[in-house]
Amino acid sequence: MVRKGIADKVAIIGCDMTKYGELWDKSQYDLLFEAVQGATKDAGITKDDIDAAWVGIFYYFTGLSGATVEDILRLDGKPITRTENYCASGMDAFRNACFGVASGAYDVVLACGVEKLMDEGSSGLPGFKIFGHPVLPIPSAPAMFSMAATRSFHEYGWNREDLARVAVKNHSNGAHHPKAHFRSEITIDQALKAPMIADPLGRFDCCAMSDGAAALILTRVEDAPSYAHGDNYIVVKANAISCYTNTPWYVPQGAVGSDFTHFPATEKAAAAAYKEASITDPRKEIDCAEVHDCFTITELLNCQDLRFCERGQAAEELKNGTFNWDSEIAVNPSGGLKSFGHPIGSTGCRMLTEVTKQLQGRAEGRQVPDAKIGLAHNLGGAFCVCSVSILGQAK
Amino acid sequence: MIGLKAFGAYLPRYLLPRDLISNAWDFPSVPGTKAVASADEDSITMAVEAGLDCLVGIDPKSIDGLFFATTTQVYTEKNSASLIATVLDMKDDIITTDFTDALKAGTTAVCRAVDTIKSNKDIKSILVIAADTRKPEPGTMWEFGFADSAAALLIAEEDLLPVSIEDYYSISANSTGPWKRTEKDKFIRTFEVKMDARIYSQSITKVMSELLKRNNLQPEDIGGAAYYYNNPRLHGRIAKMMKFAGGVAQNSVFFQLGDLGTPMPFILLISALRRPKPDAKIILAGFGDGADAILMQVRDKELLKSVNKNAMGVAAHQKSMITLKNYDWYIENKELLEKDRYSRKSSAVIHWRETPSLYQMYGLKCTNCGTIQYPMMFRSCYKCRADDQMEPVKLSLKGTIFTYTLDHLIGGGYYETPVPRCVIDLDGGGRILLNMTEIENPQENVQIGMRVELTFRKQHESADFVNYYWKCRPERGRK
Repeated sequence: MVRKGIADKVAIIGCDMTKYGELWDKSQYDLLFEAVQGATKDAGITKDDIDAAWVGIFYYFTGLSGATVEDILRLDGKPITRTENYCASGMDAFRNACFGVASGAYDVVLACGVEKLMDEGSSGLPGFKIFGHPVLPIPSAPAMFSMAATRSFHEYGWNREDLARVAVKNHSNGAHHPKAHFRSEITIDQALKAPMIADPLGRFDCCAMSDGAAALILTRVEDAPSYAHGDNYIVVKANAISCYTNTPWYVPQGAVGSDFTHFPATEKAAAAAYKEASITDPRKEIDCAEVHDCFTITELLNCQDLRFCERGQAAEELKNGTFNWDSEIAVNPSGGLKSFGHPIGSTGCRMLTEVTKQLQGRAEGRQVPDAKIGLAHNLGGAFCVCSVSILGQAK
Repeated sequence: MIGLKAFGAYLPRYLLPRDLISNAWDFPSVPGTKAVASADEDSITMAVEAGLDCLVGIDPKSIDGLFFATTTQVYTEKNSASLIATVLDMKDDIITTDFTDALKAGTTAVCRAVDTIKSNKDIKSILVIAADTRKPEPGTMWEFGFADSAAALLIAEEDLLPVSIEDYYSISANSTGPWKRTEKDKFIRTFEVKMDARIYSQSITKVMSELLKRNNLQPEDIGGAAYYYNNPRLHGRIAKMMKFAGGVAQNSVFFQLGDLGTPMPFILLISALRRPKPDAKIILAGFGDGADAILMQVRDKELLKSVNKNAMGVAAHQKSMITLKNYDWYIENKELLEKDRYSRKSSAVIHWRETPSLYQMYGLKCTNCGTIQYPMMFRSCYKCRADDQMEPVKLSLKGTIFTYTLDHLIGGGYYETPVPRCVIDLDGGGRILLNMTEIENPQENVQIGMRVELTFRKQHESADFVNYYWKCRPERGRK
């Protein structure tokens, strides 16, 4: 049997996101409520039009199960599922929502994500007292990725200045986005002088702790023109997920992923997504990309693994402006996680919202000129879970 | 004959100059240094180190028992010897006993090991390990003395041994002090140190004199005397009272390393056995509410030479020690300051189930592709993806750093940072992630390609028990 895939079957007819930041005066219920209200309004529907929902939430303290969404929206017994897949939790909610539509099971579905980190305090991701192994070392999130930075410096000859350029570019883009957590430009010098978090990653190499939520409304492509945006709906070209080991530091020499200079999960998810979307030259065909930049090194390595440039060339390409918002391929025109922070469960849906609006020509902040094909990408855990989704304009 | 088959020692990484203590408390200057363990060490972890040093080239599964001697028990109900034997990968049909509560526990354990081997035909060898990490009350005279160390003696019955045990003699004495009440005292107490010293001198001279008398020996027949002491002047007086020839009484330890507690006689013995005269007779003596004296004799210099070559012993450990530059580090590492400690999820059951992986450093070898991997809970091969074709394999305790980071964020909080997180390729195969301990200026000194040794350490005390696991450290030279 030939695998049919879901390309060109599902349409995005509405989307929205909250302001991102240290939202002390709002709960996860406020955030998700506002994002979903915004998305339904954008699609021109009410909550009663929603047949089913998927919500990306990473942390148990943000909310357990689909009932979290029920408590926010009172959907009166509709099917709701919480998805958890590290930093890809939100994009995996979207992927499952697409299956719900493409299978014909539902007409209109909600894909959303939320995370309320600040209630746990602002000094790094919480949770080590609850999960994990008693004694096998669990590095902090920046420490996980900085081990790739150390090795990439060694193999590719990159340095901290190369990393700083990622932060400078993304903060420059984010300065234009009304919903970004951080809206100031920074300099290379500022980045280099900031305190260390996990050597060689300093404060500006790391995304911040933030709160936020985002939501998208999906329906079948043939039904899409009847909603608020008419023919200006967005088509889902591909969704792909790839999982590798939780603990890449045990991968023995010679096995996939033992080099710490590339992310096999990104490579694999990208290959699957490109195949489904019939993309052969991503650098030429993709106009804008929201690429997971939890840390500056993550964006550089991901650009290579997404085949935006050759291996070892990302730092040079970045320096030459290849990834600027108005250049060959706009990487994180929104400002990325660097500007928005990373409320984990929400990030995937925020990126898809950004890409949707870029392709519809109604981007908040930097509008990439003439964007037709866009990509959203998450890489979570210790670079073990990757999601890649590709969106396109309606034909 | 029954005697000493092998020995090993452990001295922690750091030396604290006594002048730093004097400066901190405005005391008169006191010369010398003392050995100081890191915050992640206790008597159990140091015993493991001494055991590893002793068992170089010896199959741990060939040993029939483990006696552990300490006055600084980590648990008052829970056998330390059993845990140490587990980590050293000894078999399970062995005898394990803790000897505790007095500084003579080490020599007493040696006497009991001899008795046990003599009286039980199934028991041919017993590993005796002594370790102490006595915590002195800051700003008292104890602080100049109390130091940390461990030492291991493998007592065995074989046709030929490097050193034989000829005889022992013990006395009991109810001393005036010191003491430490089980629940009420955080630090050691005493009433009158002069009286304590008198009982010490009487006990140690009596027990050594009686041992000589029983064996028809004169003081000049003795080539080495390794007896516990915590006061160099008293040590010299005892040597004089015993009429030992010059250089016989081992006295180098207190000045450089401090009052090492229970392992002290062992450490002195290991020093005495470094370059002994052929057939030298050596006395090993311990004190603490009584005393033991053990008569030993060098039997085979070649065997002794190879034991000295295998073990780091005292000398090689001393060479790799670093002198501390400030008193604050010491106070912090002794956990004498109230401070938030790192805690995380824990489960005693996981420690038990994963004993080979977590305590004994076993990994898996894929019988399909030969790849060695760690930890042991994964049943499909990382490389060839074959299912359930794994066999256990002992991993090396040495390796090379492949990549690393210096982590300032430990479990969401800032503790003692940065912690080097090192991805290590172990010699002979297997890749592992370990925190690094005892590294100065990690920003400059941790590098890709750096050689490291694995060392058994306390990780944290979540779930109200000590969670032990391995860390790595810069090479000190353990074989």
